Amino acid sequence: MTDSTLLNDPLTRGALLRRAGAGAFGLSAASLLAACGSSSSSGSTGGSASDVVAGQAILSNYPGWMGKDNLAAFHAQYPQASIKMISNATSSTAEVVLQFKSKQYDFLLADTSDAGQAADADLITQIDWSKVPNIANISDKFRKAYPWGLPTDYGKVGIAYRPDLIGNATITSWHDLWELIPRYSGQTVFIDLERDCMGSTCKYLGFSSNTTSADDMQKVQDAITSVKPHLKAFLNTNIGAGLINGSTAMAMDWDYDVALLQQKNDKIKWVLPEEGVHAYLEGFTAVQSTSKIAVIEAFLNFLATPKQYADFVNTTGTAYMMPKATPLVEKSISQNPILVPTDEVLAKTEFDKYLGADGATLWSNTWNAIKAA
Amino acid sequence: MERDQGGVAVQQAVTSESAQPPRRWRRPAVGGLSRLALLLPTLVITALFFVIPLVLIAVYSFGTVNQVNFDVYFGWTTQNYRDFTSALYVHTLARSVVLSLSTTLSCAVLGFIFAYFISRQPPRAQQLLLVAVIIPFWTSFIVRTYAWVDLLQNLGPVDRFARALGLHGHIDILYTPYSIGIGILYSYLPLMILPIYVSLERIDPALYDAAADLGATPFRQFRRVVLPHAVPGLIAGIIIVGVPALGEYVIPEILGGGKTLMAGNLLANQFLETGNYPFGSALAVTVMVVLMALLFLLRKAQPAAEVQ
Repeated sequence: MTDSTLLNDPLTRGALLRRAGAGAFGLSAASLLAACGSSSSSGSTGGSASDVVAGQAILSNYPGWMGKDNLAAFHAQYPQASIKMISNATSSTAEVVLQFKSKQYDFLLADTSDAGQAADADLITQIDWSKVPNIANISDKFRKAYPWGLPTDYGKVGIAYRPDLIGNATITSWHDLWELIPRYSGQTVFIDLERDCMGSTCKYLGFSSNTTSADDMQKVQDAITSVKPHLKAFLNTNIGAGLINGSTAMAMDWDYDVALLQQKNDKIKWVLPEEGVHAYLEGFTAVQSTSKIAVIEAFLNFLATPKQYADFVNTTGTAYMMPKATPLVEKSISQNPILVPTDEVLAKTEFDKYLGADGATLWSNTWNAIKAA
Repeated sequence: MERDQGGVAVQQAVTSESAQPPRRWRRPAVGGLSRLALLLPTLVITALFFVIPLVLIAVYSFGTVNQVNFDVYFGWTTQNYRDFTSALYVHTLARSVVLSLSTTLSCAVLGFIFAYFISRQPPRAQQLLLVAVIIPFWTSFIVRTYAWVDLLQNLGPVDRFARALGLHGHIDILYTPYSIGIGILYSYLPLMILPIYVSLERIDPALYDAAADLGATPFRQFRRVVLPHAVPGLIAGIIIVGVPALGEYVIPEILGGGKTLMAGNLLANQFLETGNYPFGSALAVTVMVVLMALLFLLRKAQPAAEVQ
């Protein structure tokens, strides 16, 4: 998939696109994979475990959301085991939870909200971390935020803008954005996903982006509806595409998307607002009904080696979470400040959490009220 | 005399013919069981794909859902219908009805003009024009809808054309209710043109001549000859366009820019996003009832229009 098709592909859903968009980086970096080192001083991928790991585990995942050599290399390492990947893209928590219940899969790609709800519904199998020692390669912040399985990727929501279209103004915060939206009416795009859009608004208002307070939600609703008449649109695909030709001046957007857009137009600037940012975090989690837990644990341990994880990152182009993989990661990713923020920035980042049934309903109702206003 | 005799002969012949019992094709006798067997495939298909799904939706609409694991319980509560009475949902449904009615009316007016124009062309030209009406259906509906995003966006062809004509500012209708209306109008117009054309094409050309010979002006011809004959096609077109337009989900999603919540989007969200099947079913039943009420009113209007 080329950058161009990514920006113009209308058929994929929001969550898929945001990852597919990131995947464009991977293609440009694909040739680098051959140069990735073959040794792994930090990885434990073989040993006696390979003698008992057998069978095929079925993974529900986004299309292409895997290192190009990951599955073949795993099968080579464990000849009696394999992973069958079924592409079942969805941004819906309900659909993911129903996949956990379906007994059709052994493990799934799920974000913190999905996996948290599945755990609450007793639909997951806890990983025996003693069998996944390479989890130590993943940064602590991500392991704590994603305790159900192996965290793989994340993305932050910030602001993309064209200074030349807003009088060379500088944006440093959500507050600046809210101030500028009415002045440049019809030139701002927000994300059309409730967690990302309202979560970012929570940051603007100084709330946790996982708040379940009805008062907070009312203020979030008021804040968005106050600027809604001046918004160009809520979009979940091609969010920042208008920044390239100038039909959009400002956009609430994902980090990887902006990194991609900047390759098309270097006038586009990216801001991690000073109030803080909301982010999604995803990983692979085993379902409660699986009988292939040994295969899953072996695969997660295998994927958590720097070499295999670098393959995953280089193919998908995602922001990554394993410092030891840096030498093997394509420089366009590892040296891109948008995709690899500092510890200070990560400290201001708040990941999605499962809000509980009442919290999820409150958010959903607020979102509907915003859209209907 | 001869003439009289001949007249009698003809009369006799007529009388003798009319005295014979009419020769009618008689359907072979089919017993009750055989008749049932012949009906069975239709009954099964109707039950499987029409009745049972509708009953399931109706049953679900009285259930409740566990929002953690999405198990559905059938406690026969009316809460889902009571929830629907909140201003948010009523306004959303009302917005959808208004948009659906306005676009259906626009489709009817434009469709009638197109269909009338086609029906008055020579046969070969009619065929070519009908193919032109159908050609858009060869392309994916989604692709056609996305094409309007490129056409209507700022700095897009429509905007550039307007500026080339000297209009100041941008033609900024993408992501507004107007762009949704344009999308629905464009997508459903062929479905309106075809049934109206079928009605108009059946009008005997001699009727136009007769009306003209009797001194009818072109407008009077149109009002007294064309319009009454077009009514069945118009009503068919209004049903074919109006029903899906009310529940339209894709066009508002793509051309509405997420700023205009329509009944179709609200309904889809319950099934695809929040997993609240009972509330989604209650919404579906409500939309269905509204549609049936509108269709009932239309059917009541039809005989009167046909008589007129």
